[in-house]
Amino acid sequence: MNGARSRIHIVLMLAASGALLFSFLIYLLYTANLLAFPYDYDQGEGFEVYDTVLFSRGELPYRDTEVYPFYASNYPPLFHVMAAPFVWFFGPAHWYGRLLGFLGSLVSAGAIAYAVYRDGPGRRWIAILSGLAFLSSNFVYHIGPLYRQHTMMVTFETLAIVTLASAFPRRDRRGIAAGLLLLICAGYTKQLAAISAVAALAWMFLRAPLRAIRWSIGFAAVGMGVFLWLHIASGGQWWIQAILANVNDFIVEQALGLFILWFKLHGLLLVPAALLVIFELYCDRLSIYGVWFVFAALFGGVAAGAWGAGDSYFVTSVAGACILSGIVFSRIIARDWRMRGLLGEAALSKLCHVGMIVVPLLYLGYARATLKMPTDGVFEPIATALGVEANAQARFYDSASYLVGGYARIGYFLGAEDHAAGAEIVRLINETDAPVLSEEAGFSLAAERDVVTNPTQLRNLDRAGLFQGDQLISMINRREFGLIILRALFYPPSVLEAMGQRYEHRETIHMNGFDYLILYPKGKESQ
Amino acid sequence: MDMEERTVTKRQLGMFLALVGIAGFVVILLIDVVDAGRQGGIGPAQRFALALMAATAILGLTLIPGGDAPA
Repeated sequence: MNGARSRIHIVLMLAASGALLFSFLIYLLYTANLLAFPYDYDQGEGFEVYDTVLFSRGELPYRDTEVYPFYASNYPPLFHVMAAPFVWFFGPAHWYGRLLGFLGSLVSAGAIAYAVYRDGPGRRWIAILSGLAFLSSNFVYHIGPLYRQHTMMVTFETLAIVTLASAFPRRDRRGIAAGLLLLICAGYTKQLAAISAVAALAWMFLRAPLRAIRWSIGFAAVGMGVFLWLHIASGGQWWIQAILANVNDFIVEQALGLFILWFKLHGLLLVPAALLVIFELYCDRLSIYGVWFVFAALFGGVAAGAWGAGDSYFVTSVAGACILSGIVFSRIIARDWRMRGLLGEAALSKLCHVGMIVVPLLYLGYARATLKMPTDGVFEPIATALGVEANAQARFYDSASYLVGGYARIGYFLGAEDHAAGAEIVRLINETDAPVLSEEAGFSLAAERDVVTNPTQLRNLDRAGLFQGDQLISMINRREFGLIILRALFYPPSVLEAMGQRYEHRETIHMNGFDYLILYPKGKESQ
Repeated sequence: MDMEERTVTKRQLGMFLALVGIAGFVVILLIDVVDAGRQGGIGPAQRFALALMAATAILGLTLIPGGDAPA
């Protein structure tokens, strides 16, 4: 009987591994597809490339948006500083930032697997599945291989939490310092990491309040020191661009829709993770993973409802869920459960027997719940066998579909027509000697032109009452831009109004699933 | 026990959460009283926050019987 159960367990574990490895294969192919694409895939990537270019020149991207080229960034510097050496060797390009993001996601998955192995009862196979489960998440898949800082923030957060989990209880000063330093790195990669920092400090306080307060003072001093340096070095623009202008409207429907989607996709791991937190809360001690998971799910989820935010804001909670569920599953299978007093040996044994069948089935179900894949070419027979058909784009299936506001409508593979469309837009830019106003910086960078404006940042500043735009509007009124390229119309209303009065839409180029509107000055013939 | 290694107990954590939940609940309700010019009564975001505060308070109250066990 035991032998038969073990065989079934192994067969199911192999099936779960195969399903999650298939998901990883799709992730690899998606990454390779994006690395070859020299233009923006996700809105805003080009501006992060430009931030990197500025850092590579030793300049800060926190600038006065009232003067040409009206550019500023609201992102902290670390990810772009990490990518800056690539600019020295390869010039401005998207591929190295995307590669860094992808590698960051692999490091996160490795840290998750290590945490499950070290802090659970040492079940290697479950640990590996936990890491693969993280990479299988639709949310991780979306953001992983993009030129965006978010994935690197999650990497620093995960490394920090896994380090502190071991170092703080052992009073390992070097380990605690390293963990807190990683949290500061996460915060200076993206502001959202403040949630993980608060979670980590709260857990430290629960464990040893006096020690936690001492470490918190040092942590705050270092964090504030960097903050003050950026503020002074940017002449006060860091405060304006990264803090004051970084407040957006809250969309309740978006937050609720994303919470429901998060649960639909990851529920098979979220429920075991939540059960472990409840167990720790009432029958054991709260682990740092439990506190981190709750903070990230609750506050990260609420933050996902802000305009411009989205599903990526749940990625940290997915990392926490993968660790907690991996520990639960390992304990069940290894019968290493601290409930002997509550359940008794016989009940634990039954739990283990059930777990040997149910645990791999949960991973299998999770792989199906997070399935996304191309539906054409070599994947067509697999898609047919799995009973899925394109639902997100003409040639792509995404189990999340594209119905929830804030869920990034990306993930599909780019084709030759997208490369050709990007090249056509660059050709149009090259036809004019005048400056070009492009809503995506990728085209300007490819044409080796000035990056003029960062539309979402101008919009944020405008909504905060911090943008006048006189010089920019005056340039538009004088029709000084040879070309305007629009995609999402994120510019402030006054800028869009001036564009509408002085420029006319003459061409639409479809690329990457979106329509790019090409505007020329009214009364002037395009060359 | 080493003074430095004294931990927060389940009772202390429970009392803290109950206090936060109750105080938060009252403050959120008071938003409409203080900002009398607001339109539309209790909105969806406010309802969500009220539910969260109520859940926090209940969670805190259920932890108090845990006594001196470390949180």
